[in-house]
Amino acid sequence: MAALLPREGIRLGLKAADRFDAVRQSGQVLVEIGAVEAPYVDAMLERERQISTSLGEGFAIPHGTDASRGWIRETMLSFLQFPEGVAWDDGEVIVCVGIAAVGDEHVGVLASLARILTVPEQAARLRAAERPEDVLSLLGSNEETKR
Amino acid sequence: MAIQGTDVRKVVVACEAGMGSSVLLVTQLRDRLKGTEVVVQHSPVSQIPADADVIVCHRGLEATARGVAPGKVVVAFSMFLGDPAFDRVVEAIREGKALEG
Repeated sequence: MAALLPREGIRLGLKAADRFDAVRQSGQVLVEIGAVEAPYVDAMLERERQISTSLGEGFAIPHGTDASRGWIRETMLSFLQFPEGVAWDDGEVIVCVGIAAVGDEHVGVLASLARILTVPEQAARLRAAERPEDVLSLLGSNEETKR
Repeated sequence: MAIQGTDVRKVVVACEAGMGSSVLLVTQLRDRLKGTEVVVQHSPVSQIPADADVIVCHRGLEATARGVAPGKVVVAFSMFLGDPAFDRVVEAIREGKALEG
């Protein structure tokens, strides 16, 4: 999972002015870890305006549009935590998992997130992560078995 | 449109880019359909495969999905977690009931 969600892609204790600032920051981290070219961030903002990527349980998964895949260098994720919460269209978001995906390499981690979100106590633990290791162990422990 | 739950072989969860929400929802649906023969896969809404029996997508993409896959059952949801639309799909397949959409 280190290649998919590198430690420097996990940023805890951040602040965001609003929903779009949080999405922009999620994209900026993807740029910094070498996952995408800068225009992908604009596509993430565009996608967010179309349909909210908020999932519930305080999580959102900002990502680009189908048309913006060309700006992706490598399938990778970012994990940004905003402990004070960011007002979204349908509640408050604490964690943004930024997604840049050209293939299916990220499916395992997202499957893990999907399972965590269905168990409120696990979702709360992931929201409250204090160290990158906590994030990695929670997201890594629940991966879909190979099929 | 309607389909009998017993006739469903493949459920396609579609989202705009096919890299985010649809991937998550596929996991949740697969878990809930464990033990059945039904295949659940994700796809960008523009590339819904022809052999899809049921398409699940966000309400905001429903019209696009119907345009891409005319004549198919399209079940639209509004919330990613706990939307009754998912219960409807699972129940129809597990209990062999008609699924409309």
